[in-house]
Amino acid sequence: MVALLLGHLLWMALGRGASSRWQHLANLLAAPPRVASARWEGWKAARQDRVADLRHAQTELLTLRAQVTGLLTAREASAPRLAEADEAVRLLGLKRLLPLDFRAARVIVNVRKAPFGGMILDQGEDAGLTPDQGVIAPEGVVGRLWEVGASQSSLLPLDAYNASTGVMLARSRATGVLQGLGPGKAAIRYIGNQEVVQVGEPVFTSGLDRVFPRGLLVGYVSAVQTHDVELHVEVVLAAPLDRVGLVLILPAHPQMEIQPPAGPPQAATGKEAVK
Amino acid sequence: MSTPSGTPLVRRFLLAVLCLGGIHYTAPWPGPQAVLNTFLVLGLAPGFNSPLAGMAWAAAGGWVLEGTLRLYPHLGGTAFGNMLACLLAFSLLLRWPPHALKPYWGRQAVLVIVHALLIHFSVRFAAGPSAWGTGWLWSLILIPAWATLALRLHPPLHRK
Repeated sequence: MVALLLGHLLWMALGRGASSRWQHLANLLAAPPRVASARWEGWKAARQDRVADLRHAQTELLTLRAQVTGLLTAREASAPRLAEADEAVRLLGLKRLLPLDFRAARVIVNVRKAPFGGMILDQGEDAGLTPDQGVIAPEGVVGRLWEVGASQSSLLPLDAYNASTGVMLARSRATGVLQGLGPGKAAIRYIGNQEVVQVGEPVFTSGLDRVFPRGLLVGYVSAVQTHDVELHVEVVLAAPLDRVGLVLILPAHPQMEIQPPAGPPQAATGKEAVK
Repeated sequence: MSTPSGTPLVRRFLLAVLCLGGIHYTAPWPGPQAVLNTFLVLGLAPGFNSPLAGMAWAAAGGWVLEGTLRLYPHLGGTAFGNMLACLLAFSLLLRWPPHALKPYWGRQAVLVIVHALLIHFSVRFAAGPSAWGTGWLWSLILIPAWATLALRLHPPLHRK
C-alpha cells in the first residue's frame, strides 16, 4: 500500500513520463464514445439550426401575412377611387376629342331599373344646366337632362320608355328616332323597309333633335324585323348605364358635327341582312 | 486492519468493473464521469477486504479517468488523489461504521469535498494548474443516489 502510494508520488514528481502508448491505447478505446458524442453534438447543432430556421420562417410568414392583409385592405379602400379615376381619365380623353364646352358631373343615384326611375346628377341650376342637355359617357350617349333642380338634376336615359333621340345608321345614313325598350335596349322607329340594315351596325346620333351633335355613338344594331312599311331595328346601347359614374354634359343646342369613324361596314350574315 | 465489508466480493468486484467501464465511456460527459469516479472511490473501494485492494481500485479509476482526457498529461495525479480519498474513507468506515442514511450522506458530502481538493492539488502538483470543473458539484448533488447505493452494500456494518 505504501509502495503504491510512494510509486504514484514518485511518478508524479518525476513529471511527464513516456505515456504515448498508453495515450494511444486510451484514444483507441475512447474512439466509439468520441464518435457517438460527435454525432450527438452534430445532430443537436443541426436540430438547433432547423428550429432557428423554422422560427425565422414562421416570423417571416406572420410578417408577410400582415403585409398582405394591409395591402388587401388598402387596395379595397382605394378600389372605388381607382375606378373613378379611370373613368375620369377616359372622360378627359373624350373631352379633348370633342371641342365643346362640357361640364362633368357625377351620378349620385342610379335607379334606372325602377318604375319611372332614372339617374340623379350632382349638378343643377347652380352649374347653369337646363333641361334637354345631352349627357354622354366615354362609351357612348347616356341620355338627356329631364329635370333640373337647384343643385341636382335628373337624367332621362336612352332606354327609358319615354325617351326619344334622333339617330342614324352608320352604313345607310338612314335616320330614325330611337325609343327606349327597357334596361340597356332601345329600338329605332321610322326607318323605311327599303333600307339595308345589318346586325352589328353602329348607330350614331343624327343631330336632328338638336340635343346631341351628329355622330356620337349610341349603340349597335342587335336585331332587325320588317313591319309593314318600316323596319323595327333593335339597338343595344353602347354606354354601360348600370355602371356609369361620371358623365359629361353637353352644352344646350350644340352646333357641331362629329365625323363618324370611316371604314367598311361590318360584314353581315345573309339571313340577318334585311332589305 | 480488519475487513469492513461482508458484502459478497463478486458483486462489489463487478460493480467496480462496471464503474471503470463507465468512467471510460462517459468521457464526453464529465459530470456523470466524475460521479462514477466518486462512487468508485468513496462508495465501492472502501468496502473491499483490504485497504490495498481498495486503493488499487481507486488508483485504477483515476488512471482510467486521466486516460480518457486527451489533452491532459497522464501523470497519476487523479489516481493519487483517489487513493488518498479512498484511504480516508476506509478509515472513517472502519472507525465509525454507518448506522443511518442521512448521517452517511453528510459524511459522504464532506468526503466529496475532500476528494475534490485532494485531486485538484495532486494534479496541480503533478502537472501544474488545472481547471476545477463541475464534477464535484455533480457528485454532491447526486449523493442521495450513489451514497444510498453504497450504504446498501455495507449491511454488515449496520449490524456491527
